[in-house]
Amino acid sequence: MSILLHGALILVLCPLVVGLLGRTKALWTGRRGPPLLQLVFDLHRLLRKRAVFSDVTTFVFRLSPYLVLASALTAVAVVPVLGVRAPAAFPLDFVWFAYVAGLGRMALMLGALDTGSSFEGMGASREATFGALLEPALFAVMGAMCLKTGVSSFGSALLLEARGGGGIVWGASIVALFIGVQVESARMPVDDPTTHLELTMVHEVMILDHSGPELAALQAAAALKLTVALGLVATLLNPLVGRAPTSVVVSANVAMTGLLAVFLGTVESLVARLKLRVVPQYIVVAFAAASAALLATTLRGSAP
Amino acid sequence: MTHTLGSASPLALAAALLVAGAILALVLPRPARPVAAILTQLMATVIVLGAIAPVLTTGAVLEAAMRWSFPVQRVVLRVDPLSAFFLSWSLPMTLIGTVYGTSYLEPSVRKGRNAGPHFALLNLTALAFVVVYSVQNALAFLLGWEIAAVAAWLLVIWDYTNQKVRFAGFNYLVSTHVGLFVLVAAFMLLYAKTGSMEFDSFRAILVQRGGTRAAAFLLLGASFALKAAFFPFHTWLPRAHAAAPAHVSALMSGVIHKAGLFAFLRFTLLLGRPEEWMGWGVLGFGAVSAFFGVLYTAVQRDLKRLLGYSSTENVGIAAIGFGVGYLGLAWDQPALAALGFGGGLLHVFNHALFKCLLFYAAGAVYRQAHTVDLERLGGVLRRMPRTGVLFLIGALSIAALPPLNGFVSEFAIYRALFSGLAPSPTTAIGLVCVAAALAFAGAVSCLSIVRAFGIAFLGSPRDPSVQPAGEVPGAMWGPMALHAAACLAIGTLPTLGLRLIRTATAQFDARAVGAISIALGPVQSATATFSLVVLLGGAIGWWSGRHARRHVTWGCGYTAGNPRMQYTASSFSAQFAAIFEGFLPHRRRGRLPTEIFPAESSHLSTHHYDAVEQRMFEVLGQGEEMISNASQRIPEQPRFAFAAGLITLAILVGLILRGSP
Repeated sequence: MSILLHGALILVLCPLVVGLLGRTKALWTGRRGPPLLQLVFDLHRLLRKRAVFSDVTTFVFRLSPYLVLASALTAVAVVPVLGVRAPAAFPLDFVWFAYVAGLGRMALMLGALDTGSSFEGMGASREATFGALLEPALFAVMGAMCLKTGVSSFGSALLLEARGGGGIVWGASIVALFIGVQVESARMPVDDPTTHLELTMVHEVMILDHSGPELAALQAAAALKLTVALGLVATLLNPLVGRAPTSVVVSANVAMTGLLAVFLGTVESLVARLKLRVVPQYIVVAFAAASAALLATTLRGSAP
Repeated sequence: MTHTLGSASPLALAAALLVAGAILALVLPRPARPVAAILTQLMATVIVLGAIAPVLTTGAVLEAAMRWSFPVQRVVLRVDPLSAFFLSWSLPMTLIGTVYGTSYLEPSVRKGRNAGPHFALLNLTALAFVVVYSVQNALAFLLGWEIAAVAAWLLVIWDYTNQKVRFAGFNYLVSTHVGLFVLVAAFMLLYAKTGSMEFDSFRAILVQRGGTRAAAFLLLGASFALKAAFFPFHTWLPRAHAAAPAHVSALMSGVIHKAGLFAFLRFTLLLGRPEEWMGWGVLGFGAVSAFFGVLYTAVQRDLKRLLGYSSTENVGIAAIGFGVGYLGLAWDQPALAALGFGGGLLHVFNHALFKCLLFYAAGAVYRQAHTVDLERLGGVLRRMPRTGVLFLIGALSIAALPPLNGFVSEFAIYRALFSGLAPSPTTAIGLVCVAAALAFAGAVSCLSIVRAFGIAFLGSPRDPSVQPAGEVPGAMWGPMALHAAACLAIGTLPTLGLRLIRTATAQFDARAVGAISIALGPVQSATATFSLVVLLGGAIGWWSGRHARRHVTWGCGYTAGNPRMQYTASSFSAQFAAIFEGFLPHRRRGRLPTEIFPAESSHLSTHHYDAVEQRMFEVLGQGEEMISNASQRIPEQPRFAFAAGLITLAILVGLILRGSP
């Protein structure tokens, strides 16, 4: 699939995923909720505004939102979000993805620290801690998928189902990746994006001081990250991957991503945010699932 | 000494120049002393680089033999690609460090301090590299090893009037000599078996499977691990790095202690085909070192100590590469060997590049602000923009983020770990687990360096009395800029770095030396695209921010915020440190308020100490007592008696099994 088509589809998918999520949460609380394209309206509004920078800040603050967006945009190209081979897939692309995303995370944290605000420092500290705990889980899951399929790239997600769908490796990988989605895109029960109390936030508190186009870049990057992560989980869940024509697989995957967004919104409406002290334990669940997936690769009949 | 110099004569010439420079640095008029050291080092570097360039490109070997008096008798100098690789950056980096040193020490020199001996010692360090990286005789090797160790000690205690600095120096001196004893023991063992001190004759005994090989491997491994500061032999390192002048810390961490890894590889080449347990040993040791090294970086408040612990992490990462290489040789998988050794070698070089850069930047901060205590610094970037940007480049490299050089070598090592070339599912899982540990190390080093840069360089000063007095002179930021340029060059064009290591990697296994460039090919194009997008993003950001309005930081409704309220280095890592509390012990001192309206003032201080060092001093100080206490408790406590019984049983069973073949 050409890189332009892949990119265009994801960009269209992005506001829809965020809109569906918002709609689901509104419905659960008995409201009608924002329109599906609310993200687009938000970005449009922000782009027309002028930014405000703190006196304390340096060029780091000024550049960081765009570096976050750049890393999110580039990372998209290697993830099989649509249930078919990603346009720029190469061996070990997931390592590259993790480190490119790491650059985005570092830019976000440095932008937060640049303001000298203790709230934003708090957010950066949490982001760094959770990120450090999540990273080994991601690598263990990818390692398990690679060992199972014999393909050492994100592409192994496309083959996993054919070579052991319904197995332990498959199930445990989905659990680990889903927790990963919740941590990385700052959703409940790890982080409450809609709370009013800065003390308890992770992602939102890091972008407190950003405004105007800078805030738009950060929101776009967050939406992109969410869409890509959900798309990857959808690819794992999609039963049609590799068994149907490309157009059918892609539409099924898009629908699946939408369903996952609804599911994520439902979880978010029904579950309370964990205490910050407990969040690391929740992330360790992801690591445990990843380890289970890894161990399960030795089970009989699972050799590639 | 009679000379029968062959093609290695440029090395002897360089050595002579370095000695001459050292002498000149002691006898010339004071202002000319650093100049003498720098000029002779420059000449020696040019001569050596000219001589070894063909070795690096073609793999041809330079060789010479010299006669020397008893007990050495005959010294063979040989520069093979491995030596050439280490020489090719050690000498230039020492030269750069010496240039930096002239400016770093300038305030003391202006006060009347004689810096001549210091520069003479830097010359001797360069001489030690020439010796250690080329001689093929154990005694001559020990000579070079010792020159490097003692010179480093004397360089560390530049500020010897400070008791802490003297303690750090002696601590280093003792540790390095414990390592020397182990090394001597290994050489004695090999001499006893071969009757020769030549490395070539060691080979005959080292290639045979058996007890001698295993014992020699363990002894040599322990000694070199101490030299390169692997966990748990690292205790001297954070102290020495915090105490030494910045350029000495940089050279020790980036260059001098790489001699430990060089010696390890030199003996790996003599081993022939290693056994599998050796590979797993090196791999496990490297992973443990990376894990604990990086954990300790997360809680340090002294910037130079933090960088010191990160050396332990990075030699661990290189050792992971070498361990995979060993396994590749043991399993006869040439691609695995090439990726492992190639990635490890490249990481050694990359680490030297970014670690020197970071130490130089830390030194610049120290010179202008007179402290590297993260709890007191803040906002340095606005006072010292050049240093700040250069530190940021080093920070991105050390966190192994693309498009910088740290990522390139780690990617090669990941390629080896995820290669799927392991012979059984269990071993494959072992490699993936190491990859997960490496990922953890990467993410935590990102945390540590964000903390270091974010707290020291961003925000505002946490202690109003700490105000850097402006930018450092060119002799200090110039060396940093050189290193930063190299980091960027290798990060965006990995093939440049591969050119340096190709022939050296081929020495370990020549069959699949192209595997590493095949692995890095797609990364190069992906990273190039990424760099373009990042540049574009940065340009848009710069352009879009030009009309921004200025205002104060949003205080969430609180309007009386002050710099003391900023997040500090300790608070930044508090949550992380709490999760790994078992590994990161700390002391709390202070008095907390007790009532609703506390009558007395309260205070609190926390201090993270090194668990290994603490334990070591405990054992050294009260070891006898601990043993006698334990033996007294055996009859009292059933679990001790049980343990003692188990050990006795195990020994008995072992004896019986041995006795009945």
